[in-house]
Amino acid sequence: MVLTREDANSESALLAEWLVDDRTEVRKGQPICVVETSKASIEIEASGDGTLVQLVVAETEVELGSSIGLIAQSDADLEAAKARLEHAAPAPATDAGPRNVTRKAAERAAELGVDVSLIDKPGFVTAEDVEAFAAAAVRSEAGGPAETDVLLDGLSMENVTLPAIFFAAKDAGVGALDEAFLAQLRADPAAFGALSSEERCEAYRSHGAVIGEGVVLGAGTAIVAPRVVLADGVEIGAHSIVRCEEVFAAGEIAWTGESLKLTCRRAFIGAGTWIAANVQVGGGGHRDPWATFVIGELGFMGGEAFVNVCRPVVIGREAFLTMRSVLLTHNIGHSVLEGFENRFAGVVLEDRAQIGVGAVVYAGCRIGRESIVVSNSYVVSDVHEGTLAGGVPARTIGKASRAPSSARQVELAKRIVDELEVMLRLSGIETAPLANGVRGFELTGAEGPGRVAFVETLGKGATVPNGAGETVVLTLDAAGDAPPGCAVLDLLGRRVEGEGGVLLDSVREFCRKRGIRFDPGPWRYGRGLV
Amino acid sequence: MMRCGQALNAALHEIFERDERVYLLGEDLLDPYGGAFKISQGLSTKWPERVLPTPVSEASIFGITAGLALRGYRPILEIMFGDFVTLGLDQVVNGIAKFRAMFDDRVTVPLVVRTPMGARRGYGPTHSQSLEKLLIGVPGITVVTPSECHDLGAMLTEAVADDEPVFFVENKVMYGRPNRRPEGGRIGELACHEGEGRYPALTFSGNGFGPSDATIVTYGGMLPVALDAATELILEHEVFTEVVALGRILPLDLEPVLDSLGRTGSLVSLEEGTLTGGVGAELAARVQAEAWSALDGPVLRVATRDGIVPSARSLEDEALPGVEDVVAAVTAVGTRVGG
Repeated sequence: MVLTREDANSESALLAEWLVDDRTEVRKGQPICVVETSKASIEIEASGDGTLVQLVVAETEVELGSSIGLIAQSDADLEAAKARLEHAAPAPATDAGPRNVTRKAAERAAELGVDVSLIDKPGFVTAEDVEAFAAAAVRSEAGGPAETDVLLDGLSMENVTLPAIFFAAKDAGVGALDEAFLAQLRADPAAFGALSSEERCEAYRSHGAVIGEGVVLGAGTAIVAPRVVLADGVEIGAHSIVRCEEVFAAGEIAWTGESLKLTCRRAFIGAGTWIAANVQVGGGGHRDPWATFVIGELGFMGGEAFVNVCRPVVIGREAFLTMRSVLLTHNIGHSVLEGFENRFAGVVLEDRAQIGVGAVVYAGCRIGRESIVVSNSYVVSDVHEGTLAGGVPARTIGKASRAPSSARQVELAKRIVDELEVMLRLSGIETAPLANGVRGFELTGAEGPGRVAFVETLGKGATVPNGAGETVVLTLDAAGDAPPGCAVLDLLGRRVEGEGGVLLDSVREFCRKRGIRFDPGPWRYGRGLV
Repeated sequence: MMRCGQALNAALHEIFERDERVYLLGEDLLDPYGGAFKISQGLSTKWPERVLPTPVSEASIFGITAGLALRGYRPILEIMFGDFVTLGLDQVVNGIAKFRAMFDDRVTVPLVVRTPMGARRGYGPTHSQSLEKLLIGVPGITVVTPSECHDLGAMLTEAVADDEPVFFVENKVMYGRPNRRPEGGRIGELACHEGEGRYPALTFSGNGFGPSDATIVTYGGMLPVALDAATELILEHEVFTEVVALGRILPLDLEPVLDSLGRTGSLVSLEEGTLTGGVGAELAARVQAEAWSALDGPVLRVATRDGIVPSARSLEDEALPGVEDVVAAVTAVGTRVGG
């Protein structure tokens, strides 16, 4: 069967469709395929009786005058046709199945000796998938996680700044209570909780715990753990229940509201972390070997947040877990052997991630650095770094932030200074504009003298006000030396240079509420003006 | 799987069956020929009185179609090649697009013009053009641009039901290709999200709509080129893009583009028409005005080189946008900041 010219202006045609299966009987005149040319789509009829042998697969462009099929009229013909097909036709299946493995993934798989066909994932398989698969395979071949891995169960700490208290308190021996005291605590925590805060701190201290200066334990609160490490200024709210199988540790001035209920194997609460009232950390599996809870420095947990810890929950620095949000590390359901999901996996919130009010993050999810999960979302897969995700189930909505222009940053910084002045005035504090047109204000009343100025770029030629009392300078570019006698807040670098007092604390606190937190991190701000 | 041409033919049969106000006009429509690309096959046999074969005079048949629409019929006009639309443009620009407004909303012109645009069949300068850019400059009409992954039957049915005059722009290469529809939210390895409305956009992602490097906006016959480019970028470079296949380019359906842009920050337009004054130009202008802050860089356009579409295959390939042009544009719009 030869494809003949069907209209004047084509040199080839598309064999669109075979109407008859390969190697089936056809009769002369029977339509066997559809061919499309420039202006027509035509059915081609069989040229004789016999068995059709297709030489071209459907949906290929065929040159006019070339053979598209054979009609075998005898067994000998059929054998000859088959032979011709085997010799002439290239193997039609050059691409067997969909190709979904990237070149990098294939290369990485060869290096790591991974069989990519074992990676069960819809869509494309990337080098990252191969590496994750290989890492999981290593863990499972080793007969479970290595002992050093139990603490964080092999979770990647990329983009996660673990708090200093984690390293200070993770090793056995640190802050260990003597057996008798621990037994007494376990037997009757209520009686211990009835003592004054100072008495309880002293008791912990004298029995081996590490208890810093100014630690406050709220009324009725007892921490029951073999090891207790509390840095300076830690406050644990009244009527809290803390039960750890190994260690409870909190960094400098970490603060929790009343009725904290925390049960897990190990808990590390970063310095400067603020935890609202009625927060619960625990739930099912809190005695599991991997039940580690870590929240990084300057963290935030809103009221009634719930964190289930049977696998590690690791929250990075300056992350927000807002009110009523939920992190889960396992589910309860029917048998995995019957095809139901049965998952136990840790949850990681990378640095500066934010979980919206009432959002739920499911076991095994990782929330990327500086990403935002919007309120009431249900997260069942990883949220990539810097993205805004939301919905049930959560999907990427957009970027979590957009870089403002430098001109806009100047405007925003000025506004912060203006708003601070308004707030001070409304609190009855007298202020006046600064001299020489410098943006900012000075305190002219009983709280003074002192001044707050915004200087876009510090360094040579910059006009920096000075005088008696504190001077706090906010800047977008702290290049050059801090002027003597000033405390400088680098708003973009988020660093504090120089010493200050009440006024510096006030400005820091005001900036903190606008999301600008400075290094060095935890500081005393209780004595501020606002 | 039905081929696109078959899907359109089947839809026409259903539309004729359901609504006796529907008429079909055009050249060479009668069976057994059934139209140059066989999309109208079988209709004249079943409904001989409602299939009206016309002389080779586009200006007059646009006018007759308009007359039928004004009198309450739902006529479909098949223009054999999109290039021939120009012959009827006076009827469109000075009549069809304006009647409703000129007669103070007392009339509508519910007609559908079906026509294949596009090259890659070696038909040369006058049978290979993609002239949608002329159509989007005509206020008062709707330009619908189905692709091989759209629900072609549903879109054609919506076009016939639409009270506005609709240009239903098909693509001649698409006719022979399978009408691939999303199954379980995917087409092949790509996740596919279908938008809302009569003429929905389709958005494709290779990483489950995670953050990506660029959005490739296209329509119609260029969709497979965009998808091939997106796939190549993933397989060869692990660069992820989203592809938006617009179902309607007039009025321009901007929302799915802005939605995707939020995840990518960069935009590449891809069309088969020539570059200057094209659909991509309109898209770029609208996007920069509406979402300047979402853009990490300039919008790049990929289109057919300004000039004629040559007949010779090799020269045609050079003039038309291909996978490598899209890959180059995505690479040029660059890597996202922090991405």
